[in-house]
Amino acid sequence: MFETGVRQLRMALSMTWGRPFDTASLTRLVADAAATVAEFGELGLEAREVIETPFADDTDRADHADRSIRRTARRLADLSPFYAERFAATGFQPRTADATTLLDLPVTTKDDLMSRPRDFVCHGSRPHLATRTTGTTGRALEIWLSRYELEVAAALGALSGVLHDELHGDDLMQVHVSSRATAAVQLASLTCRLVGARCRVLGIVAVDDALDALVGSATAMSANASYLAELVVGARRRGLGPDDFRLRRIDCVSEILSPAVRAAAEETFGAPVSDNFGMTEVIPVTATSCSAGHLHHDLTMGDVEVLGLTSGAPAAPGELGTLVVTPYFPYRECMPVLRYDTRDVVRRLPGPVTCEQAGIPATSAVLGKASQLIEVAPGDVVTPRELVEAVEDLPTRPWPARFRAEQDGGRLRLDLPANAVDGLSGAWLTDHFAGRGLDVRVRVVADQEASGLRRVRSDLRELGFAAAEQAAEPVGA
Amino acid sequence: MGTPTSSTLPTFLASGVAITGTLLTIALSVLYLRRVRMDRPAIGTFNGVDIVVVFGFIVVLPLLYLVLPLTPLLVVLGLTFTSALVFGLRPVLGPARTWVVVGVVIAANIWMGRTMLGTVVGWQLFWVENDLLVVGAAVATANLYVQGGMRLRHVAWFGLVLAGYDAVFTFVWPVTNTLAQRFIGWPFDPSVGFRIGIYNATIGLGDLLIYSLFVIAALKAYGPRAARGAAIISVLCGAVVPALLPLLTDVFIDARTDVIVPAQAAFGPAAFLYYRWLRRTFGAERTMAEFRRDGDLVDGPAAPVPVEARVLAASVP
Repeated sequence: MFETGVRQLRMALSMTWGRPFDTASLTRLVADAAATVAEFGELGLEAREVIETPFADDTDRADHADRSIRRTARRLADLSPFYAERFAATGFQPRTADATTLLDLPVTTKDDLMSRPRDFVCHGSRPHLATRTTGTTGRALEIWLSRYELEVAAALGALSGVLHDELHGDDLMQVHVSSRATAAVQLASLTCRLVGARCRVLGIVAVDDALDALVGSATAMSANASYLAELVVGARRRGLGPDDFRLRRIDCVSEILSPAVRAAAEETFGAPVSDNFGMTEVIPVTATSCSAGHLHHDLTMGDVEVLGLTSGAPAAPGELGTLVVTPYFPYRECMPVLRYDTRDVVRRLPGPVTCEQAGIPATSAVLGKASQLIEVAPGDVVTPRELVEAVEDLPTRPWPARFRAEQDGGRLRLDLPANAVDGLSGAWLTDHFAGRGLDVRVRVVADQEASGLRRVRSDLRELGFAAAEQAAEPVGA
Repeated sequence: MGTPTSSTLPTFLASGVAITGTLLTIALSVLYLRRVRMDRPAIGTFNGVDIVVVFGFIVVLPLLYLVLPLTPLLVVLGLTFTSALVFGLRPVLGPARTWVVVGVVIAANIWMGRTMLGTVVGWQLFWVENDLLVVGAAVATANLYVQGGMRLRHVAWFGLVLAGYDAVFTFVWPVTNTLAQRFIGWPFDPSVGFRIGIYNATIGLGDLLIYSLFVIAALKAYGPRAARGAAIISVLCGAVVPALLPLLTDVFIDARTDVIVPAQAAFGPAAFLYYRWLRRTFGAERTMAEFRRDGDLVDGPAAPVPVEARVLAASVP
């Protein structure tokens, strides 16, 4: 108890003053939290305040952001070749930097990272693990993380998991993310190790293999939305229901999760699904969704801006914008980014919220990638989320949604595979989409073309020998 | 009326004080554990390092008491008692009433310690009030530790180390004797005591604390039957034997003819052996969550569950 108090103090000082974390102390703090749960069955009152953002007050939050931005920028000016050059070119003064002056600095784009990756690696840092984006929007991007960054992110994740009663020592977490997302995989396994839970990393394998492993076994699951949709379809095909699973939570990240798939997953697996935001480039900054569907951003570890898609200025309430994220030092130290433009589109909320996380700043859920927005008419933009939600809400349950949408003479032309509209008349489909604010002309394409319509992460299938042989077997053999 | 001055009176007085103080503290500690849930830190459970820290305080504080002038010493003691009582009473009375009660008890102790010690009756009234203060502090502190996750294993090892400490600091370096002399007749005497005639008999706060820790940790770990065994050991080895030993030998009589018995020297080994027996017989200790779940809080099942049965229960889905 005495040691725990000292460790909590050290962590709080690092968070407040921006000193590097003592990862050994942080790791032991996770063990302390797990031991507390093991001894008492629950943590003490106010446990969540240990790591949750202490900045409920706007002034405190702004002060924390200003100090963290200044600290991060000063370090980048000294150690990051890319940012030293950019600061010099734009006249940005890291010593006086704050959330306001940061707006004058150009955002960092994926192209910047792709074209000069080595210049983002800070002098003196020790890259340990390369992690790649899945490249569903085109090219895959490689990010290097230090061992320190992984340990800090895992420890804070584990602490949060214990404090929020999301991960126990007797849990078994089954992980279904692409094996190329090494950071996500490593963090999942490290987090489980710290808590004392078991971790089964399966990746994007055949759905039946995943279900075989899941049945009566795993208590937590992490999966992309598209793969979760496939699992739901597979489980229903096999007649599996909540009594067949031991899951108590499902974490979904990185793709659009529609209410239809979410409800079906909760009904099929008998566990709540949480829809979170996370991105390789801005690890460990995350956001969580609330019951009202808002996305609440953790501002302890990073700064989050919403910039107008064309203006580049802060988006007005109700306006669409791209999320621009700055992870702070000491959470990121190896290949950090400043004002990274994620191109993930959200809508700024029109006013204050009253949900259970009302104290934490929020936006709408991620509506899709900026490059995938469709301007049907001037000022009339359709987001990928609107389309995914509308398609996945079809009674044929075409999960995950496969479609291609294009602007077509002031309307939206939506290509859907035949099995998605099986038994549905053209008039019914028009009404269905019109009821969701979409003026759509549906064009039906062959089912074989479905996977080419919209890329999803569950397409990144990882084959075993048996599956590969099966796939290679000639038809009719 | 004259006061009897036979050689057995001090012994009976010492036995009475020690047994009464021990039983009262143990009983109240058990009652408190079963009925009151104390606040605890958000994260953290009592572990071996805490034992080392507490033992460090036990070693350092008496030395500090010896070198501190009387006034700062009394301030330190007053703050210690105040915080212990506040911790213990707040879950029962709420913040406002707690501060009123603690304020009255502390003020009364200071006033009685300064004004009422001129007569035997005055001494007796002072001791009764001081005893309430000390027993309350022992009950609160014992529960703070055990409800904070202290295990019987910790208490047993703590008692064993204290046994050596107590013997050394009584016979080799008589700090205990000096402290007992220093505290007597002043407010915040960290002892439960009573006076008959010219004789004062006391049992130290530290002794009462370890006895109550032992009993309620045994209750938490293995249930009421184990706690009854622990209570018997505490009373016999911690109160009766130390009180009767001076009848057999005069090695406990110091130069001032005060009788100072290192009670922990008898209690510590017995407690440790009892813990080892419980551990071997019943297996792992229950956690606080299991203690609460098993219903020992108010009137739970008596028999401890053998470890085999617990393992079996845990393996059944």
